[in-house]
Amino acid sequence: MDLLEYQAKELFRKMGIPVLPSQRIDHPRDIKGLQLRYPVVLKSQVRAGGRGRAGGVRFAENTIDAIAAARTIFNLPILGEYPHVLLAEAKYDADREFYLAVVLDYAAQRPVLLGSPQGGINVEAVMQHMQQVVVDQEFSPFYARRLMLKMGLQGTLIESVSAIVEKMYQLFVQKDLDLVEINPLGVSSTNEVMALDGKIAVNDDALGRHRNLALLASKMADRNTSPSLSSAPFLPSEAAGRRGRVFIPGEDKEELLLAGEKGAGAQLRGLNWVNREGNIGIICNGTSLAIATLDLLYQAESKPASYVVVGEDAPTSCDPISPLLERALEQITQSKGIKVVLVNILSSATLSGEVAEVIATYLQGKVKDKQVLGAASAAALPHFVVRLIGGDISSSRERLADLPIHLVDNLDLAIAQTVSLAKSSGKRS
Amino acid sequence: MMNLRPDRVLIQGITEPLGSYYAVRMKAYGTNVVGGVSPGQGGQLLDGIPIFDLVEQALPVVGRVDTTIIFVQPYWAIDAALEAIAAGIRQIILVTAGIPPLDMVCLLRKAEDTGTVILGPSSSGIIVPEKILLGIQESEFYTPGVVGLISRSGTLTYEVAWELTQAGLGESICVSLGRDAIVGSGFPQWLKALDEDESTKAIVLVGQAGGGREEATAEYIAAAIDKPVVAYFAGSHAPLDRRMGDANNIISYHMSMPIPESGTAQRQITAFKQAKIPVAKRPSQIPELVKKALKK
Repeated sequence: MDLLEYQAKELFRKMGIPVLPSQRIDHPRDIKGLQLRYPVVLKSQVRAGGRGRAGGVRFAENTIDAIAAARTIFNLPILGEYPHVLLAEAKYDADREFYLAVVLDYAAQRPVLLGSPQGGINVEAVMQHMQQVVVDQEFSPFYARRLMLKMGLQGTLIESVSAIVEKMYQLFVQKDLDLVEINPLGVSSTNEVMALDGKIAVNDDALGRHRNLALLASKMADRNTSPSLSSAPFLPSEAAGRRGRVFIPGEDKEELLLAGEKGAGAQLRGLNWVNREGNIGIICNGTSLAIATLDLLYQAESKPASYVVVGEDAPTSCDPISPLLERALEQITQSKGIKVVLVNILSSATLSGEVAEVIATYLQGKVKDKQVLGAASAAALPHFVVRLIGGDISSSRERLADLPIHLVDNLDLAIAQTVSLAKSSGKRS
Repeated sequence: MMNLRPDRVLIQGITEPLGSYYAVRMKAYGTNVVGGVSPGQGGQLLDGIPIFDLVEQALPVVGRVDTTIIFVQPYWAIDAALEAIAAGIRQIILVTAGIPPLDMVCLLRKAEDTGTVILGPSSSGIIVPEKILLGIQESEFYTPGVVGLISRSGTLTYEVAWELTQAGLGESICVSLGRDAIVGSGFPQWLKALDEDESTKAIVLVGQAGGGREEATAEYIAAAIDKPVVAYFAGSHAPLDRRMGDANNIISYHMSMPIPESGTAQRQITAFKQAKIPVAKRPSQIPELVKKALKK
């Protein structure tokens, strides 16, 4: 989950990273109550990069200019994203601008410190001069100083900028971040440093032990809920409310999510994937299986529309698949333009039985609706291609025998059947 | 270093729902489960398996342990792993999924220092068909045979195993590395282990397309592996999760810059082709590629 600049700066401030006086603006009229001295900078609060180049950052000399600028920014989408909030900030005269970041490098499996003596909005220049230091062992400030020398810093800047990197690293570890970035770090003519822009990405798996961040995440999710398919719920952790943990220094037990808040970060769990042009919906029990199925459909030159993962490789009765599958069926069937639903589930015979039961109940309900309401008024159903594999599934086959579905054993055949149904005209009557 | 067929197994988190379910299954499959650990439940028995409060309390009673399998909840899984390492256990299978990656960074540093093999997190474990089950693999898809399977995915592994089973090749062993972005041991270590394993005649890799992580694996195979290897990668048409790549990938993602070439699925497939490793287009193609490679 990515935080917005003003949220990131709040965390910077608490950590002792210098930031400018600033004020959150929810509406252009809030400008009248601005406590800052002009000139000010108004900044669009969006997650997308490239905001400066796109016109999402504007300077204002007085209230009238500022209101006009605020209106413009509120109406300016950055890579399709409209800001809900602006940040008004004092103007800062930077002599030089640096780029600093701490990221978790998933390839190296270690945190990496990054720095570029060319900070700012020219990202090509930033990247061209980017330096890296891998934190391969326990962090100690010398890693930050090593970065300073690689960046070519000299004199007092070595200590002052590496102190910022140290604090960024502390924040990174304390809050389980994937990324913390300052770009630019302004350096004044007197070598004073200031975090002028900031970005923080929180690791989703860790949200359950950072209550405040998770609640922030759920607020943002509510605001950004799209009408398309939402992911099957995958709780960040069921661990909430259990023993405290001891590994992160200064970690506060109260940061664990309370039982009622467990779903807070859950809606953010990535689905899965949606292509508005497509007409095939996929349901699988595992992400890798879903993307493999997606590959096969693309290879067969068909148009997948979405996939939903039910019970991420989760086996057994401990984590019932039924409610997830029921919702997935409902979601996919109701999505616009879906002609075929392909269910591909590999598991134990027990689970196959459960899956067959859910599909059967669902379809029987739909068939009944049609009898009651008449063919014309009942919603047209897509075709169903179902592939269940794992152990003795003869009873599952029986359960599905008389239903309007195509039951296929072999994956290649299931794909072929799906593609041919998707290409045929019209929905099932 | 890798113990492919450990014969004395401990289960940590044995009273977790998943832990108790699979402890019974593992035992029924023929695995020698010598004990379980669950704080506060010490002294009880589960299906005849003695339960202890602490790993170091279990060891003097149950004797040597080759591998521990961890089912403990995500935020406490690292604690369980460190407890096992402190007690001298040097092979750990983390079944738990969703462990925060910075916990893994700490654990991996500790594992490197102590020479501990970590499988997972989010690993389905290891299966030697009809002999040993370590973890949560579904045994229905497997049959004894000659192909060693190493996989970075979950249920897709079963798809590949099922193809090999139906083609009459069967599996000598299947190792699930785990689905999470950061996992302990990777393809190279297990390739080496299977290269030295007598019952394995060919090796199949199941991985993910893109992300820039597997290009080095191709070079490793070309340089160090004698047995035939066939690879299959899912996701060449799926959007890449660029927040999970290397530092350059991640930074360029956050700057809304185009993806660096090093991370693309195409580049990965090219790396394997250059190393002369056949790459299957779909699971059903894997058996024929294996058969062809075995004939050479």
